[in-house]
Amino acid sequence: MHFLWQELRVAIPLITHGNPQLLGVIGFTLQVAAIATVAATVLGVPIGLALALGRFRGRRVLRAAANVSLGLPPVLVGSILFIFLAGNAPGGALHLIFTRRVVFIAQTILALPYTVAFTAAAVEGLPAGLLGQARLLGADRLQLALLAMREARVGIMAAVLASLGSALSEVAAVAILGGNLYEYNQTLASATLYEVDGGNYPNAIAIAIVLIVMIVVLMCGLGLLQQRGGGVRLRFRSAR
Amino acid sequence: MHAVWEQLRAGISLIFDANGVILSLTWVTIRVAFVSTAIAVVIGLPIGVALGLGRFRGRRALQLLANASLALPPVVVGVIVLMLLVPQSVLGSLRIEFTLTAVYIVQAILALPYIVAFTPAAIQGLPPGLLAQARALGAGRLQLAALAVREARIGILAAIIAAMGATVSEVGAVVIVGGNTQGQDQTLASGLLDSFLLTAGNPQLIAITIMLVLVLLVLLGTLTLLQQRSGGVNFRFRSV
Repeated sequence: MHFLWQELRVAIPLITHGNPQLLGVIGFTLQVAAIATVAATVLGVPIGLALALGRFRGRRVLRAAANVSLGLPPVLVGSILFIFLAGNAPGGALHLIFTRRVVFIAQTILALPYTVAFTAAAVEGLPAGLLGQARLLGADRLQLALLAMREARVGIMAAVLASLGSALSEVAAVAILGGNLYEYNQTLASATLYEVDGGNYPNAIAIAIVLIVMIVVLMCGLGLLQQRGGGVRLRFRSAR
Repeated sequence: MHAVWEQLRAGISLIFDANGVILSLTWVTIRVAFVSTAIAVVIGLPIGVALGLGRFRGRRALQLLANASLALPPVVVGVIVLMLLVPQSVLGSLRIEFTLTAVYIVQAILALPYIVAFTPAAIQGLPPGLLAQARALGAGRLQLAALAVREARIGILAAIIAAMGATVSEVGAVVIVGGNTQGQDQTLASGLLDSFLLTAGNPQLIAITIMLVLVLLVLLGTLTLLQQRSGGVNFRFRSV
């Protein structure tokens, strides 16, 4: 017990005294989380809506693909992208490997399945008559999509939360594609790996504490927002 | 595209050369998958069934906790376990830091939330009359639990599939607790994080990527087939 206490005694001041390296990592992590979550939401929610509401060929196949992509291991996404982006591979000319941009891209790709699959599931879970009724009353596609989004907002918020969670805590793709470069493109999760690797346990503990606190605070905050927005309310504008 | 094709050929030939490294990584991965999933099932299934069937105080709070633990970042779990295992610490006398045993343990801890959180969900999704009827017919606790597991087997198998998927593809905790030593505790997934692999056009990177896809497909595919074969909900009661 003595050892743990000692390590914590060194670790806590690193957080409270605002160690510049730690602050840099926190800043980059927040940047990654914000960019990846926003990009995944902007791209993923419309796709999810289309998968749930659309009546086009191949919808079911795409819907299944969205579910499967939820189980895609980040390591694989990382290594496959690496193979296609490194050196003289087709994507090599983009010079993305070991940059900050590639971290944003990788985390967006990993967050996307959550927004797509969970949005589709949330819309499919709406009361059966609701969207049919709106269709009958003459709602066009955009109105229908907006209605579905409003009614399924609790589920869609859950989708956004899940994508944020993955953007914060996934580490494999960040480490492979970004190279886990000190003071450049480390997130809290990948910086933890780096510090443990260097045997610098107090730093690793400090970073891990910040990571878990950040996840709990962001998740609880957004979770509360989700609860407040809750309940299925059926409101239709009066038709003219 | 030509470059990728060349790399692919080199990678595949590396596997078929019976290259010792790839095969040993595969073997470690399979062992971790089975041992860790087995530990998680043995510990998690009874807890999950109790949460699904029980009528005790704090059941809902515990279930909430189980759901929340799904979002625990592997990196953080890795740091906590490592801090307990280093020689100077509480469990240091076990002398298992940076060994395969430690990897088994940490992957079992990461697989546990899937079993504990999804099992109650599967049981609570059973037709409402079923368990009440069994209770009314005088089933004891153990009989009730056995019935619930049998009837909810599809959901429970889904939990086991998710757990095994995590044990195969998670890297954050493996790298931290095992030290990522080749030939000892390096898995296919954690092998991909090895920085010396991350050079453009490295055939070994491709070989490991292909092998990881194969292992995931075979393990999870087999379990999914098993799940499908175990079929729909059939109501069979033994005659009293």
